[in-house]
Amino acid sequence: MKVTGLQVFWMILIMEVGMTLVMTLTPGVQAAKQDLWIAILVAGLFTLLITFLVTNVTLLYPGQNLIELSQTILGKWIGKAVIVVYLVQWYTIIPIVLRQFADVINIMIMPETPKWAIMLIMVLLFSYATYSNGIVTISRCSEILGPIIILMIILVLLSSVNNIRLASLLPVYADSGALNIIRGSLPSASYLGHSVEYLMLAAFLYQPRKGTPYAYWATIVSTLVVTVALAMAIATIGINLTPTLWYPFFEMTRKISLFGFVENLDPLTIVTWVASVFIKLAVYMFITAYGTAQFLGIPKWRPLVIVLAPIMLWFALIPRNVTEATTNYLMNYWVPFVLPVNMIGLPLLLLIVGKLRLRAQA
Amino acid sequence: MKRSRTFIRWFFLLIPCLALSGCWDRRELDEIAIVMGSGVDLTDDGQIELSLQIALPMGIQGNMQMAGKKKPVMLVSSKGTVSQDQIGQIQQQLSRRIFFGHRAVFIIGENFARHGVDQTLDTMLRFPDSRYNCFILTSKGATAKEVLNSPYPLEVIPSIGMKNMQVGKYTFAERIDKFLDSFAAKGFMPATGAIRLIKNGQESSFVIDGEAVYRENKLVGYLSGTHSKAFKLMRDQGSGMKIPVPIEPAGKLSTGMITADLLTTRREVRTFVSQGSPKIEVEFRAKGRIIANDTTLDLSKPANLSRAEQMLSNELQKMISGLIEQTQKEFQSDVLGFGDILHIQHPYAWKKLQTEWLDTYPEVPVKVLASIILERIGRTQKPGHLPK
Repeated sequence: MKVTGLQVFWMILIMEVGMTLVMTLTPGVQAAKQDLWIAILVAGLFTLLITFLVTNVTLLYPGQNLIELSQTILGKWIGKAVIVVYLVQWYTIIPIVLRQFADVINIMIMPETPKWAIMLIMVLLFSYATYSNGIVTISRCSEILGPIIILMIILVLLSSVNNIRLASLLPVYADSGALNIIRGSLPSASYLGHSVEYLMLAAFLYQPRKGTPYAYWATIVSTLVVTVALAMAIATIGINLTPTLWYPFFEMTRKISLFGFVENLDPLTIVTWVASVFIKLAVYMFITAYGTAQFLGIPKWRPLVIVLAPIMLWFALIPRNVTEATTNYLMNYWVPFVLPVNMIGLPLLLLIVGKLRLRAQA
Repeated sequence: MKRSRTFIRWFFLLIPCLALSGCWDRRELDEIAIVMGSGVDLTDDGQIELSLQIALPMGIQGNMQMAGKKKPVMLVSSKGTVSQDQIGQIQQQLSRRIFFGHRAVFIIGENFARHGVDQTLDTMLRFPDSRYNCFILTSKGATAKEVLNSPYPLEVIPSIGMKNMQVGKYTFAERIDKFLDSFAAKGFMPATGAIRLIKNGQESSFVIDGEAVYRENKLVGYLSGTHSKAFKLMRDQGSGMKIPVPIEPAGKLSTGMITADLLTTRREVRTFVSQGSPKIEVEFRAKGRIIANDTTLDLSKPANLSRAEQMLSNELQKMISGLIEQTQKEFQSDVLGFGDILHIQHPYAWKKLQTEWLDTYPEVPVKVLASIILERIGRTQKPGHLPK
């Protein structure tokens, strides 16, 4: 199974942009208020750091994915311990994202449909994509869906141009201050930090050494897109209402009214949302199945997809309400643990130890 | 091997199709009652009355087919103590499910507005159906129910008529989200257009003129006349406005008034804070053209034109100062958003001022400078109809 650099670019881009736009606006604006655009740029810097770390780690032993890498660098037992940390991340993110997906669909467009129906469709979809040919299918899908998603976002932003009131973004800095800006950047940084999956994806590249610029470009483009989109969302809805809405980006699309008859353009953003969630979950499912198989020494990873899919669906139904699924997970696990440890700390550890080993071997 | 793979593929393809038709959320067009306008009133015995103007499907065909006086809309209403409950009660009068997605206007009855607008506000944002692109109006001299019941000859559905009036910006127009935004903001008090009923001969109809000014969540008064015009100028909705001004004493054949039509307006507000007390300066620049010259003057002469500009500038200055004074002294409400501008221009001072702004605003000194440049005077120079 081989993927091209461009496919990796699109995969990382979709994983980063789609959900960041929809989910991180509210917690971000609650902390940073109208300076969220500065916060996103700060988040972008965090993400660049993460990308730097992971790309350099993969360059140490090109062709090895995370499972092999961490055992090579840190030895069998510590390596396996590190992998377990990542496995926890992957096993929990899939049900949570599934649940968030169903929540958005329920709240915004289909209030009566039961969650299991929405989640079942998505589970069947991404399981099929993962089962059919693993990462190759998913990356080809993202090559097609990526430009479509970006196009939808650009359409939405262009149509909203006459709804914006740039003065809503003023005064700059005075209302928030550096501490709040950093607090506001954390939710976005954690969502944008999905470039950490490059650790697993790089091994499948045709030319593993050449994959680095694609990862960087994905980070840069997604940061810029998210900054512009979120700044426009605040400029449209205003700083007083935005922190209270669950999904301000969708609300911004609802305000679009061109020439008096082009209205209610919700479906554009829904397309973005569904496509992004699909790619994200498919990538994660593949990484989980493949990674678990390699970790436990199971030769065939494909059957694991069939085993894991219903488990993920079942897990997704466990959280009792919207707050538990979204806010609790984000604030109690993802931001305080995954961001510093999985995304920054562990790659840093792998990088340092890896470099030392290479030097020792030479 | 191959057969089971094909089977699995078909299985995966068919299962989503079962759920894709949206079984649970399917709403056919003939199962919904489309609400075009809704209104909230406070009755004399303190209950909340919710009124909905529902579009009747048959009346939308066209004006030709309206034989007889069959109205294309129906009005339903219900009284109670909690407003959200009313929707459920009204539903019991309707054979179809209430659907707010096409609501064009939301009217707040005058009594309810004076008592304090609460209860109804939260649903507007929270309920997934309601669009907040819809316009909000306050009724004047009538209840919202009466306004929604009033016919309107020019449009098939009266609520659409109200919406078009607001879209055309003939009067001040505010949408729900901006309205809610100003509730939350400390530096901006809400204001809506004001709608009232009039009688055109036999027919009764409605007109939207003037604005309703709120202080916190209570209605405190209406603007009308020149102050209403000045309000629109300050809210940047002034182009196309006609300003008449007397320039010379009335004569035998002339009233001595010229009327200017504003082409573009620019409003700049400058705030100053000295020792914790704010001062505001408003500069208003306009470009206009003369559309009526009911005097004996020849406006193509520069001296006369400058005199006209001078008088017009004075008039504008009077209008705007008068408006600001009314909001300060009579309404004590910062509908013009000066607090917001203070927030942007002096953010650190605003942090201290914002809690007391409601009471500080009436005392803030405001200076108004207005000027107008007349670009053209029309097709004639001296009035053509005057004897030479």
